[in-house]
Amino acid sequence: MKTDNKIMLTGNKAAAWGARMAQVEYVPAFPITPQTEIVETLAQWFADGTLQGKFTNMDSEHSMFMAAGAAAATGVRVFTASSSQGILHGMESLYTITGWRVPLVLVNVSRALATPITLEPDHNDVMSTRDCGLIQLHAETCQEIFDFILIGHKIAENPQVCLPVLVNMDGFYLSFTREPVLIPDKKTILKFLPLFEPVYPVFQASQPMARASAVFGGSTYSYFKMQHNLAAHHAEKVFNDATAEFSELFGRTYEPAEKFHMDDADFVFVMSNSFATKGKAAVLKLRQQGIKAGLLKIRLFRPFPVAFIAQALCGHERVAVIDQNLAPGMGGITYPEIVSSLYPYENRPKKIVSVIGGLGGKDITESDFMSIIDHMKNSDSKTPLYLFDQEDQRAFQRIQKIANVKKEVSSS
Amino acid sequence: MYRIRLHGRGGQGIKTASQILGTAAFYSGYQAQDFPLYGAERRGAPIVAFTRISEKPVLERGPISSPDIILVGDETLLDDPQAAPLCGADESTAVFINSTLETSVLQQQLHLSSSLLKLNLTELCIQHLNKGTVLSTALAAAGARLVGMITLEALLKAVDAELSQQGIGSIQENLNLTKEIFQNLFPVVLKPRKEKTISPSEIILMEQANIEEAAPIILSPGNMILRKTGNWRVQRPEIDYEHCNHCLICYARCPDGAISLGPDDKPEIDYDHCKGCLICAQECPGHFINTVREAGVES
Ligand code: SF4
Ligand code: SF4
Repeated sequence: MKTDNKIMLTGNKAAAWGARMAQVEYVPAFPITPQTEIVETLAQWFADGTLQGKFTNMDSEHSMFMAAGAAAATGVRVFTASSSQGILHGMESLYTITGWRVPLVLVNVSRALATPITLEPDHNDVMSTRDCGLIQLHAETCQEIFDFILIGHKIAENPQVCLPVLVNMDGFYLSFTREPVLIPDKKTILKFLPLFEPVYPVFQASQPMARASAVFGGSTYSYFKMQHNLAAHHAEKVFNDATAEFSELFGRTYEPAEKFHMDDADFVFVMSNSFATKGKAAVLKLRQQGIKAGLLKIRLFRPFPVAFIAQALCGHERVAVIDQNLAPGMGGITYPEIVSSLYPYENRPKKIVSVIGGLGGKDITESDFMSIIDHMKNSDSKTPLYLFDQEDQRAFQRIQKIANVKKEVSSS
Repeated sequence: MYRIRLHGRGGQGIKTASQILGTAAFYSGYQAQDFPLYGAERRGAPIVAFTRISEKPVLERGPISSPDIILVGDETLLDDPQAAPLCGADESTAVFINSTLETSVLQQQLHLSSSLLKLNLTELCIQHLNKGTVLSTALAAAGARLVGMITLEALLKAVDAELSQQGIGSIQENLNLTKEIFQNLFPVVLKPRKEKTISPSEIILMEQANIEEAAPIILSPGNMILRKTGNWRVQRPEIDYEHCNHCLICYARCPDGAISLGPDDKPEIDYDHCKGCLICAQECPGHFINTVREAGVES
């Protein structure tokens, strides 16, 4: 029986283990499906003494994020988690605390946004936090979730960054899926992520200081925003340094984006999160059928690793950016970011198409990947390609039949 | 790779079964992945869970539509169109059913091209655990044996680990149950599945519809009646009309509106929809609602 020190963990449990091994000291919590198992597990560990510090049940995500930011401003290591509607409800606080320039790790368990309401994943929730000044790491596997939480604290707490780091995982497909996760020993983890001792000013008793004052006239506001932007950009270097150290200590290497069978690929899928696993399977199968496919999986989404992505994609003929999100009236949210990253390069791909699929947890099937290949090949294909097929139409019509049979709406 | 799909009802330990199976495979040195699927439903509702076992990393996620092995814990699901436990079964699939019926009888009823196996797990659970309602260990043991690559040692260790983690007692009894099932079944030989070449989806170009159809507007509300939830019941409430004084507290308290008023304001339970929560029985001031085990559910 060769098992190392791996254990079978759901994505949620892997997140809780990440917080545990990072020895977080404060967790403000508010439960929401499919994130609940994370805070439930941490509540248990704080209650039974496995974790030292404070776990507090909050009355909403809005106050939860404020509490997380306030605690981080006192110089303790903070972890929290949310999802979907919870992220939206706390959005004001997210902008507020990133502006405070405080370090913490926040896990988002992706779940599509209402309306209509659902429990299954897509990325509109995490994309809604795209512009609020967080660092974002997107996980494909339960191992990545665990590792990214350690790496996340390291980036967040770097004095040149001082920003919240969001680690994203898909609801259900990762949050409730168990797979083997390697939990390294405490000593090595402490080498990578020592206990948090801030080297910058934090709130302390009898030492008055203020954060987040009002500013007028624009210049002061602009200064702080531009500093925030510089810190977010700098986080890419900090990510690369942190992952290099991580690789040395733990043997797992994380580039800003993972290149899967990219070397000779004529057709490249750009994806993120747990569905990238499906993309990888499709790549292998397509290669068996003689189609040279490859996949680029984005891990670091904020800061956006522009040069890394451009370098990875340039020289390949055709690229499809698969967005599991939708900005109605525009299309996929990451597509323009990829296109603008590539625009300055002369050897950029001939064809860069946008694909929208996986909304509300809808599967992206092998056949869908084949359709995407066809779409990349076809010279006059319109972009975006929306993944919705006959079978989806039939599934919808079955429901519609039940919901909508009354053709006339009575006026009384 | 083995793709295993487990079917049962909320409360029967189907998710735990998929986890025991996953852990046992992992302890046997394989890559494993397990995953339950449940919506916003509750005890008694159909549940499905999945375990993938492979020598190589598992490059799949989510539900399994073409299973190699189907484990049906609750045979009353076989003709439930919503649960559809046999969906996707073909000649390369082995179907295992926890049943009192003979294999030949089941085969006659189901007309499957798959190979069919059965064992009365409920009976074995009653013998070892004194109850036949929780099938987690039994179904996992059956699955582990059919797969073949899982050792008894790894399986026992997995049963111990998963049940201890959930604070479930009677570990020794569960281990004995595991051993007995392991001895009673044999690994199945599956016909290799033909690798299909990938062909594109039939993508449709969606056109704009009128607002009545384009938005989630329900013009025909009250359609929950179409969703028959009666088979979620483990216990059935029965009103003792000889004593009932028509106070209608049960009628007011039923969270599912499954009690209606008959002639003379007599409360009547709609068994097509009653989920068996037994709130009515709790609330009846005179205790005039009896609870009876549903047929097919062992005590
Ligand atoms: S058990 Fe009683 S209260 Fe519960 S659904 Fe059935 S009738 Fe209603
Ligand atoms: S609560 Fe009891 S007594 Fe009252 S109507 Fe219901 S069954 Fe009859």
